[in-house]
Amino acid sequence: MEAKHRLESLLDELSKASSLPRLSSAVSDVDQVIELLSDARERIAGAMDPHTASLNMTKLQNPIKFAFGKINDDLKAASSSHKKVGRSLDKHFPLKQLPTDDDGMEDRLPLINRAIAMHLLREGQFTVASTFINEVQTKTPPAPPSTFSEPMDEDDDEDEGEDEDEDEEAAETHTNTNGSPVAPDDDDYDLSSLHSQELQDKFAEMYTILQQLKAQNLLPAIEWARSNSAELEARGSNLEFELSKLQYVWLFKGPSVNNLPDDEHNGRPGALAYARQHFGRFQARHLREIRQLAAAMVFAPNLPDSPYHMTFAAISTAFTDVAASFTREFCSLLGLSAESPLYLAVTAGALALPRLMKFMLATRSKGTEWTTAQELPFETPLPESMLFHSIFVCPVSKEQTTEDNPPMVIPCGHMLARETLQKLCKGNRFKCPYCPSEGLFKDARRVVL
Amino acid sequence: MADLEAAKINHDNHLLLDQPCLRLPYELLRKNFRSVHYPFEWDSTSVKNVVKETANGLISGKATPQDAVKNLDQMLVKMRGLKRKLTAAAEEEDRLYRQMSSRVTHLHELADLNTVDDVRYEAWSRQRLDRLLVDYMLRHGYDSSAMALADERKMRDLVDIDTFVAMSKIRKSLEGGSVQEALTWCNENKKELRKMQSNLEFLLRCQQYIEMMRTDSPIKMAEAIHHAKKYITPFTDTYPVEISNMAGLLAYRPETISEPYASLYSASRWQRLADTFVEAHLKLLGLPMTPLLHIALSSGLSALKTPACHSTQLQVPSQPEESQPVNGTATTTAAADSSDTPTAVPHHHHGTASLTTRVCPICSTELNALARSVRYAHHGKSRLLEQDLVLLPNGRVYGKARLEEYAAKSGLPAGQIKDLVTGEVFSGEEGRKVFVT
Repeated sequence: MEAKHRLESLLDELSKASSLPRLSSAVSDVDQVIELLSDARERIAGAMDPHTASLNMTKLQNPIKFAFGKINDDLKAASSSHKKVGRSLDKHFPLKQLPTDDDGMEDRLPLINRAIAMHLLREGQFTVASTFINEVQTKTPPAPPSTFSEPMDEDDDEDEGEDEDEDEEAAETHTNTNGSPVAPDDDDYDLSSLHSQELQDKFAEMYTILQQLKAQNLLPAIEWARSNSAELEARGSNLEFELSKLQYVWLFKGPSVNNLPDDEHNGRPGALAYARQHFGRFQARHLREIRQLAAAMVFAPNLPDSPYHMTFAAISTAFTDVAASFTREFCSLLGLSAESPLYLAVTAGALALPRLMKFMLATRSKGTEWTTAQELPFETPLPESMLFHSIFVCPVSKEQTTEDNPPMVIPCGHMLARETLQKLCKGNRFKCPYCPSEGLFKDARRVVL
Repeated sequence: MADLEAAKINHDNHLLLDQPCLRLPYELLRKNFRSVHYPFEWDSTSVKNVVKETANGLISGKATPQDAVKNLDQMLVKMRGLKRKLTAAAEEEDRLYRQMSSRVTHLHELADLNTVDDVRYEAWSRQRLDRLLVDYMLRHGYDSSAMALADERKMRDLVDIDTFVAMSKIRKSLEGGSVQEALTWCNENKKELRKMQSNLEFLLRCQQYIEMMRTDSPIKMAEAIHHAKKYITPFTDTYPVEISNMAGLLAYRPETISEPYASLYSASRWQRLADTFVEAHLKLLGLPMTPLLHIALSSGLSALKTPACHSTQLQVPSQPEESQPVNGTATTTAAADSSDTPTAVPHHHHGTASLTTRVCPICSTELNALARSVRYAHHGKSRLLEQDLVLLPNGRVYGKARLEEYAAKSGLPAGQIKDLVTGEVFSGEEGRKVFVT
């Protein structure tokens, strides 16, 4: 917790700094000098005789000196406030040199730009996104990508309907002039350029539906889920049923809760009608839940004490939950992660950066270089929430399994990397390093985690 | 557990990317102060001296009251000018203090958190991402985007738009072939540039000389020699080679192909000047040379990347031919960057792309190509997303709980399980337990 204290004391000291003396006090003291000078001028100009002039000028010397001294003090005080800030920073927040080797990010600006554009789109920042896309397009890309020339008159340029395709094309040329494109990137590029306008529309659709969900209108979401039901089902998603179920509950609650018109389409009769019309298609998979929903009708007057209380009570969390799973499914069907990848990567980057810097310092002092070509030479532990693939590290060789060295299950059920297994083999046979059983190499099976 | 350790926020190290966020206002405070301190010293000595001299002159009878009034008027002009400068600087100072306190508040939000699993962390980290995006946009000259994003997120005080806009203005002028703005800047920061031994001013002076040489007029060439005497030869000790090159330039016309004179005449020098300027500018303000987003991305992409993220081996050999919508189609074992990677198909081709697992950010289209050439993370021990692994006859491994959940959701009869990716249905007994040691 020491680190936390340090940060807190830094922040405390800095917030105190804003009440320290500032330059503004010097301004009023300059006024005094001006006043002295103009008074003297008035008097000399008024009399215009050498005696008054010399008397006034002589008398002026000391007050002027004094007034300047005061300004000087003001400036000194302001400067020492700054220095105090500097000392606080040096003491509690010493400057650490950031790594300059950015793994060739500089050469892949078009890809970063695309990632940013997509991030802005998925965050629903459509205006910023189109400004950004426009601005990227209008850059005439010069040789080193770090120094785009930059037209300053672009502020008014915020077409909503701007096409990202051109962005990709512009960026594509950039890649080529840049002379260091990785071939497959170009492929990706081309393909995504075909889809990006579509992508923007898709995200716009997602936001419309989410807004409706927020306003507790489930219908657009249900409609979307229905038109994508085959894909959703293949993913093992129940979104459509979850939405329909919530619609039933929502109608069941009646006009006093849902503020919908009080007619035969609302309230319990409305819910029942809705169930009759729509629940049939879910019968095979969700019969149990449908039964519960229907049986709740019987308990309607006394719902809180009934076994169905839970389904009907937490209505607002139910809305947030479906909104979250809607976002997840929507993005998944586009091949995108539900959380912004850029957000995750940058957050992970901030978490992993200390390790990277520690490693760089260590190797620099020893004069050694990175040795592994494909794998980072140090661990970068991330929290559970940032784990997306199961990682299998062979317990014998301590190597991470890869495509070339895949995980294998041997007949006793233990898992090893293939290279390990090959080394363990005497002829065709091996003995499991973890249990007494023996096996044949041909019986080992490659697995997909 | 190690995971809990990984989720803890280390306040000493967590703000590496945010150093400029607090440092820059401080550097700007100093810079702003210097911008008035020298004029003040200059004006105060001069006014004091003039007052004294005029007084003495009047006493000795060398000066008339008219002279005194004239001098006083001049001093008043000077002082009013100083006041204007001071007022502007005081306003700028207020703005910087205000910026700093907004940043302090922003960082305080992090100081209050202990783990990244805290819901408030996400909001904070999102704001950091926005800051880094604005930084990236500004450094690449996407100024309107930067302003739009900063305004949309209401975080003008957290980002340094003015500094970077001023920088790109000068950079742009250099790229457009004008040294004047950059020279003015050099003059404003003379002392600091000398301290960091920047050669920017020398290069700019040389460029002026080169431009005069470029013209064919003898008058201009004479001017160039004069210019060189005044601004370039004082650097003789520091840059002897460059200066002899400059001298040699007199013998060569712009069309020459002999080096180094051809490259001295080359237009690409302007771009290099712009780069040198940007470097000096960033260094002067203690800002990192690369956009913070690059640093964060290169470390973050690697930390998240696994060998599975760019695998082309989408299915195991024993896989039946049927292709599922969530699944890629290529079965080639070619190198990871083979051009027939199915880019049109969503990238979540790895084994666990459905049901409660989320699509991995590296596999997601946004970052996949970008992450292709970075190294993947190193892991010292296995980290499995699921417990109680079950091996299906097709070679795929899933957690028992998830298999059961999927079977139930798919409405399968009891005792049957379904592959979450390929959709194959097996009897429960066909699944074998797998042990990960």
